[in-house]
Amino acid sequence: MISFILIILASIFFTGIIIRTKSIVTGRKGPGIFQPVKDVIRLWKKGAVYSKTTSFIFQIAPSIYFASVLMAIMVVPFGQYKGIISFEGDFVFFAYVLALGKFFSIISALDTGSSFEGMGASREALYSMFAEPAFFILMGSFALLTGKTSFQEIFASLHFGSSISYILGVLATFVLAMITMVENSRMPIDDPKTHLELTMVHEVMILDNSGFDLGMILYATNLKFAMYGALIANLFMGSFPLYLTIPIFFGIQILFAIAVGLLESFTARFRMNHNAQYIFVLSSVSLLIFFGVLLMLGRFN
Amino acid sequence: MPLYYFILAVVLIGCLFFARSKTLHHILLILFNILQWGFTIYECFHFNTEQLGYFTVDGVALIMLIVLSILSTTSSYHSVGYLEHQHKFHTTPLRAQAIYYAALGILIMAQTGAFLASHIAATWIFVELTTFAAAVLIYHERTEYAIEASWKYLFVCSIAITFAFIGILFLSISAQEAGTINLSYQSLIQHAATFNPFWLKLAFLFIIVGYSAKMGLFPMHTVCIDAHTVAPPPISAFISTTLMNVGFVAIFRTYTIIASTSILPWANNILLISGTLSVFVAAVYLLRVNHFKRMSAYSSLENMGIVAIGLGTGGIGYYAVFLHLIFHSFTKASLFYQIQQVHRVYKSYLIRNTGGYFKYYTPGAMVILLVFICITAMPPSGMFISEFMIFRAMFEKHYIGLLVLILILLTLAMWALGKNFFRLIYAPPVNFDSSHVGKISLKESLSQFILLGLVFYLGFNPPQQMVDLINEAIKNLPH
Amino acid sequence: MTNVLLIVFTISLLYLGIATRLLTYIRIFAFQGLLLFGVSFIELTQITTLNLIFILLETIIFKTIVVPLFMNYVIKKNKITRDSEPYLPSFISLIIITTIIIITFILSNAINASHISKIYFVVALSALFAGLYIIITRRKIITHVMGFLIVENGVFILSLAVGNKMPMLLNTGILLDFFLSFLVLGIFVNKIKDVFKEPDMQTLSQLRD
Repeated sequence: MISFILIILASIFFTGIIIRTKSIVTGRKGPGIFQPVKDVIRLWKKGAVYSKTTSFIFQIAPSIYFASVLMAIMVVPFGQYKGIISFEGDFVFFAYVLALGKFFSIISALDTGSSFEGMGASREALYSMFAEPAFFILMGSFALLTGKTSFQEIFASLHFGSSISYILGVLATFVLAMITMVENSRMPIDDPKTHLELTMVHEVMILDNSGFDLGMILYATNLKFAMYGALIANLFMGSFPLYLTIPIFFGIQILFAIAVGLLESFTARFRMNHNAQYIFVLSSVSLLIFFGVLLMLGRFN
Repeated sequence: MPLYYFILAVVLIGCLFFARSKTLHHILLILFNILQWGFTIYECFHFNTEQLGYFTVDGVALIMLIVLSILSTTSSYHSVGYLEHQHKFHTTPLRAQAIYYAALGILIMAQTGAFLASHIAATWIFVELTTFAAAVLIYHERTEYAIEASWKYLFVCSIAITFAFIGILFLSISAQEAGTINLSYQSLIQHAATFNPFWLKLAFLFIIVGYSAKMGLFPMHTVCIDAHTVAPPPISAFISTTLMNVGFVAIFRTYTIIASTSILPWANNILLISGTLSVFVAAVYLLRVNHFKRMSAYSSLENMGIVAIGLGTGGIGYYAVFLHLIFHSFTKASLFYQIQQVHRVYKSYLIRNTGGYFKYYTPGAMVILLVFICITAMPPSGMFISEFMIFRAMFEKHYIGLLVLILILLTLAMWALGKNFFRLIYAPPVNFDSSHVGKISLKESLSQFILLGLVFYLGFNPPQQMVDLINEAIKNLPH
Repeated sequence: MTNVLLIVFTISLLYLGIATRLLTYIRIFAFQGLLLFGVSFIELTQITTLNLIFILLETIIFKTIVVPLFMNYVIKKNKITRDSEPYLPSFISLIIITTIIIITFILSNAINASHISKIYFVVALSALFAGLYIIITRRKIITHVMGFLIVENGVFILSLAVGNKMPMLLNTGILLDFFLSFLVLGIFVNKIKDVFKEPDMQTLSQLRD
């Protein structure tokens, strides 16, 4: 329960910090950190306009997308505290609930019949496909390392001892952070601020969404950021008491947001045809984590 | 004594490099050959003694050393002729000559070292040195082809030598596990039975791939082919004969280590595969080759394939392999020396530009004919005997299917070689202006007749010493 | 600690697979030199000071400083275009290098050796085959040389595994490295330019049947 509340709280300011970092780096004052949430609330007050060519799928997809993200957040633990839902192998559930939401957002994009949206959908599907093995190999390695199969148990029993575990921690953070960028369609995979439909990935899929639906989709992005931030934070929390873990949690969320902001300010997005290889690197690196875990366990020395 | 040999050789090479006079070069070259022969004769009388810690003259080394000394004398002689006639109207600049002779000296010295080395790392270092010297010599003509060939030779040989080094590392790992850190061949053969087969297999695989570049065997044969095409003919004669022997010795010594372990059948299979593929590649390319030196190079590949097959078959094959290497060295060397004279007549190595060689230079045509008889292993020649023994070994081991395949491939190769050689000798030349053909004196072909005579003589009447030496060389192999 | 460095080394191999600019290759190479220094410094505890200095010279001075600077110089002098021009897209390179790592890992499981740490074996063979792969799939001569240097790095790692017991082998390997790198890089890269007189060195592929 505690993780759910904290992630919701973090989601309120997460995107705001990213935007604020970017504006400070570029020498502007920038909007307040709650501006994205205010925008979402404004959108939620509006009704939605649906195209005549769309079917019911287009109408239910944003809600399912939003719900899937919420479901996924419920699985995320907080240190030694379980999430609302917790069972053996829940990280598989986590990944596929997110995939379900993504699936609906993809078919709703196809449902509009716009060629741009179809293109965006195909890209999004491709990138998710490449990012999936990375996530599973990573979680699989942790499961192997700890001998546990649920999020909460894995994170609770993770502890860093030998030098190799530090490099594994660093690599895991890197992979998780990059999966976050892929899943949220941020730089360097996709530029959320791009204005040319041809080069968009995620943004082009939601061109036809408006009002309340758009608000949900945008807020889901914030939630996802906070959710992955929470996963990364979980890597470092171990079994500290609550008064330590909550500051750690927010500290890591803020750091992560600032890092994303800096990354987006200083890198250019990749060329579209370089994205696939970039995402595949994540799988390769998580494979190395897997080998490192085997090394630590002494199954291999 | 090896120490004095190396010091003197280095001094002579240094003098050759800095000397800028033709007479001086010739004198130094003669001195170098005297040194080489003196050392060889010295080693004949110090058989099986360890010298300088890293060198021992055993059967393998002595056979190869004698062959090397014979060929280095002839190659030196023909190098002089080659440098005189390389350009149409003027001789090679003295600086280039100096580099050529110095590199030749290094090549001979490095090969001597590689034959004598009794430590696996010492062999490796000398093999590495041969790469360097050969690359310099291949670059001698300074054409685009030359730079391409020497670049490829240097680069691929470097990779190959790295492979061989990895093989040695694997061998050293298995030696460490067996509790020894002495990597001399003798110690390795003694302890080989206790080595971990996995490491041994990896080591053998890497070493055979690595040294195959030197031996001109299947996986890395391409460098040798390209090198032959552009190297000066006396050097091609080296690359194709003694340098291949160097590769063979390096592989053979590793094979001797393997021979007392349980993975011998596996190693034999590797050799058989490599040899068969070599013969196959050679036969296929011989059918479409249009360049005399490339043709000779593919013929060397074919012969090395036969050698690998003989080694992999075992039994009487071991003996035949050495016989074959000796005969092949002499035959191929005289072929390359003769190709140089062919080039002086036609100013081209391309087969289609030649013809009617009998008319222009009869002794040369005789050499070509004799070489053809030897290289295709026709009965009166020594190579017939060695090849026949290898086939007999295969027959005894019941490799009938492989034998048939090899015979078919050899027939194809024979047809291709015959077609090209007879075109050179008998066919009327096309678009050839015979007015500029210079006179070639018989004495320039004398060395070839001597070498070919050796092939015939040694084949039918092998001296007892040679038989003993070969038996000494293969004493560590299972019978 | 060596494990950490070796894992980072493996990641640099992956990066090599997707790098497109020659400058990136050079940087990766310099970085690998640093990593190798770290590994040898930690691992080789039983060797003499003189040997250690020799290895220092090899890894820090030679691999990290001299060779990268020299390659930079060669690229500038010969006006080589800065793209690596692979025959295959980087994505496939990445997959293949990953596969190489997986295969060497599986291969290493077949060993039951006690004297060598398997991670050396995996990383060394991965570097070896990744280097060969780079050589095969890149068009330029300079990239061939870089691939060769990666192969050399792999050999260096492998020789570190036996270096404590047999420093002689290690030194031989290092000498080989010096010798070949200077030879291959120095003489030829410059000579080729002199003969061919082309702004961009093309592949040498005139010799064929």
